[in-house]
Amino acid sequence: MKHERSTSTATLNQEEVVTEKSWNVVVWDDPVTPMPVVALIFRKIFGYSNNKATQLMMTVHHQGRAIVWSGVRDRAESYCVKLQANGLLSTVEQDS
Amino acid sequence: MARSKVFIQRKDGRIEVKIAPDAREFLKSVVDQLIAAESDGEHPWHGALHSPITPSADSDDPLRAFERQKMTATSAELMRLTLDESFLSQDEAFAWLASMQLGLRARTSEAAIFTDEDLANADESSLQTIHALQFFLFELATTLT
Repeated sequence: MKHERSTSTATLNQEEVVTEKSWNVVVWDDPVTPMPVVALIFRKIFGYSNNKATQLMMTVHHQGRAIVWSGVRDRAESYCVKLQANGLLSTVEQDS
Repeated sequence: MARSKVFIQRKDGRIEVKIAPDAREFLKSVVDQLIAAESDGEHPWHGALHSPITPSADSDDPLRAFERQKMTATSAELMRLTLDESFLSQDEAFAWLASMQLGLRARTSEAAIFTDEDLANADESSLQTIHALQFFLFELATTLT
């Protein structure tokens, strides 16, 4: 009996597996940072192409913020720290 | 007449620095403040260097905060060590970029400049520092690109 109960619990647990929402690295606009600096930092930290880095920089400029990376929390915080240490306004938030 | 560049990319990968002595003194004052602000909680730039990482969390991971502190200090100290050099390696040039950008953001935060309107109404002293740092940042970023 004990064995049967363990099995059903395991089955129940398998069905209850929930995928965690991803974590976003957000960069916020500020009124002073020169645009080429933002694009260069994106290329350096994420290895993005010039086109992608420029596109993200323009999103920050026009929309006030841009999600520049999404994934697991640990890596998101690591990227955020790198962006902050390079002088950009950045935070981490969970996908809504 | 074409304006001469203050940072020049050389074929061997180094960045030549053609900055006048008074401008180097200005950058020295910025990086010295950055180094002081990192460890001094009372320094007016301290808050700008310790912004939240994950605002929704009760507190940030202290290891992440330490990692940021280490990166900031390393860049600032590398820039301080190379301020009088005529040539920089790529790593040294990126340390200059990070430190000048941190100095720019910290100075604007100190002057409570958070919007375009704040910037338009900023005092002359703040604007002089901001414009000088923006100039060097723009020049270096376009050279490294």
